[in-house]
Amino acid sequence: MKTTAVRSLRTGLTFGAVNVFLILIGFNAMIGILLAKALGAQVITSIPAVPYLAAYTGLIGLWSGLSAAWKCKGTGVACSVLAGFISGLAAGAITFLFCLGIGWLLVSRIDFRNYLTILSFDFISGVLMGFPPLSGALVNLGILAASGATGGLLNGAVHVSCGKRLGQHITAWVRTVTGKVRGFNHGKGHLAFQIGGIAILAAAVIFLPLNWGSYWNYVAGTVGLYVILGLGLNIIVGLSGQLVLGYIAFFAIGAYTMALLNSPVPHNLMWGFWPALVLGVLLAALAGLLLGLPIIRLRGDYLAIVTLGFGEIIRILLKSDVLTDFSGGPRGIQNINGPTLFGRPFNSDIQFMYLIAVAVVLAAFIYNRLQRSRTGRAWLSIREDETAARACGVNATRYKLLALALGAAFAGLAGAIYASRNQFTGPEEHSLMASINVLSLIIVGGLGNVPGTILGAFALKGLPEILREFANYRLLTFGALLVFMMLSRPDGLIPSRRPVYRTPEESKPDGNEPEGNNVS
Amino acid sequence: MSVEIITARKVTKIFGGLTAVDNVDLSVKEKSIYSIIGPNGAGKTTFFNCISGYYTPEHGDVLYCGQSIRGKSTNEIAALGILRTYQNIRLFSNLTAVENVMVGLHHGLHETWLDSVLHTRRYWKDENHSLLDGARWLDFVGLAGTANSIAGSLPYGAQRRLEIARALAGRPRVLLLDEPTAGMNPQETLEMTALIRRMRDEFGVTIILIEHDMHVVMEISDCITVLDFGKKIAEGVPTEIQFNERVIEAYLGPGGAALAEKFKRKARS
Repeated sequence: MKTTAVRSLRTGLTFGAVNVFLILIGFNAMIGILLAKALGAQVITSIPAVPYLAAYTGLIGLWSGLSAAWKCKGTGVACSVLAGFISGLAAGAITFLFCLGIGWLLVSRIDFRNYLTILSFDFISGVLMGFPPLSGALVNLGILAASGATGGLLNGAVHVSCGKRLGQHITAWVRTVTGKVRGFNHGKGHLAFQIGGIAILAAAVIFLPLNWGSYWNYVAGTVGLYVILGLGLNIIVGLSGQLVLGYIAFFAIGAYTMALLNSPVPHNLMWGFWPALVLGVLLAALAGLLLGLPIIRLRGDYLAIVTLGFGEIIRILLKSDVLTDFSGGPRGIQNINGPTLFGRPFNSDIQFMYLIAVAVVLAAFIYNRLQRSRTGRAWLSIREDETAARACGVNATRYKLLALALGAAFAGLAGAIYASRNQFTGPEEHSLMASINVLSLIIVGGLGNVPGTILGAFALKGLPEILREFANYRLLTFGALLVFMMLSRPDGLIPSRRPVYRTPEESKPDGNEPEGNNVS
Repeated sequence: MSVEIITARKVTKIFGGLTAVDNVDLSVKEKSIYSIIGPNGAGKTTFFNCISGYYTPEHGDVLYCGQSIRGKSTNEIAALGILRTYQNIRLFSNLTAVENVMVGLHHGLHETWLDSVLHTRRYWKDENHSLLDGARWLDFVGLAGTANSIAGSLPYGAQRRLEIARALAGRPRVLLLDEPTAGMNPQETLEMTALIRRMRDEFGVTIILIEHDMHVVMEISDCITVLDFGKKIAEGVPTEIQFNERVIEAYLGPGGAALAEKFKRKARS
């Protein structure tokens, strides 16, 4: 009992500190605005209305309550609620002190914006929910404590009604979706949670683009394309262990195939989007194979340097005067035609967003299935020890070429969509920096897995855009996040886990595996 | 009379000015346990590398079931049924134990990458088969409970056995074991010896092993070859080798045979 209290207190204090940090970077305002937009309200100022800010605070409290209740060893609802309440209270206490501090700034009219631009008087009164300092701070405390207790209650209720804790349901669901559990008895979570989770994701993908507005669709689309790129590079680097640096060259091949076949200048071929897309993917895969043939014997640093050269060769070729007539030279290719589906042209970012979403789902699907197969295991064995893999009968040459071709095909797909969406592509879009970006996103996210790649793409491509509204903190926050990540998660945000196989001896005839197998 | 499964004919491997393996002839009978011994640097592992295709010998030839395998790549030779373990264990250390064995099963499966993406019937057949078989081989070497442990985190003895399970999964007809009991305590050594016997008796695997532990060698070998400075200096059954003067001298230096005789007499009196 005592340990539960102490642990909940600690969870709450962490959440409180994180909450203060998030407020200081204006995250609460951003979430509030997103909530308001999602609910269809008009947002004119950079600070949303009080109810949305209160909702944000409530969500933080709920999360801290849930988090504390998951860690709670006891099983009863009362214990769960108590843990949630303590955690919410602790988070509230920290926020309370913070609110008193900024409230004092407000009351004594000290303009702190020279040091922290976010702390305008409007923003402070927003955080205080429009109340005077003391009552505003108390309101914050109250919301956090109440929502923490609600989180605990929610967890306890789910536990009692479904036999497992909420956290376990979520873990089990994530595992089933990402395919972490395989074997004779698939260790699936509660069916309702699976269907519910997939429905929420699908709804988000379907409805969010409609309400986002053009800019956010553009940003989300870029993130999506980088997810595809990240997955492709993950096949090459994360699975088969070949450190290829000039990866963006395959992206360029996809983009230029689309551009040359679908733009009035220089060739005026106008093949249409879909044939160009297929050809772009195939040509990129072919380029991957051709690149693979000379480098197949290289490993490690040598491989990195040679492929880096390959990437630069493609870029410089596209830029050179020799090919100006063919590929437009340094100016690139403009006015690339968009796709049409059943005769209807794509012209808004929303439609492209759906196209990209489909492509991302397809890429993730293919990646996931490859990962857990004979092919995936062969790649992993080559990554781990190529000599031993060969001695096991794995034709390493063939599998390395296959990895290059498939990875390049992913890049070709992303490149073709990218060129078509932007209606432009030029050599400078395919610089070494872009290759390094893709490599960093898979390393930041966690090498070799789909959720990590998505999170990495979001962190490296989406976050800078979101933080753009708080321009002064953009790089500071971004840098702080990267440093924090390197310190606390050296294997990336979501490190790859090995699949857990249920071998015949372990699976019981009645199909109910012990709970311990499910959570590791 | 059983047939010869591996025949080496005047195998020579040269590194620069050093002849690591020098005109070695030997023939291994099917379903026998054949040991190669010799002092450090005698060329035993190099000879193994010549059989398994990691090196191509400069001269000579290696026959497997009467067919030459010289110049074939490592993975082709593995697919033919000659598999090996390493002196310094070479597992896929970030994969789980059962995944290691499943990689060993690789060349016996037919699933292509398209099968895996589309989850065809062949995919399910191969995956279920490899999981069942993987678990079976783990069980055989006594690692049944560790299927989902990360290979690199297993204890040393278990890693050795896992490497053997991985090799066995490839359905070997010939298994090359490079110092299977190195670094093991007496109990583990006994278990390993029993395992080697069981592999031969239950699956009819021909075993060629490099070993420094003479108790093990003398106990389980049907035939022994001694290498010294790349040359074969003796071949025979354990009792012949034990009293061979050239062998004793190779281990103890010139005059070693007389020295050994003296110690023996001293021990008796």
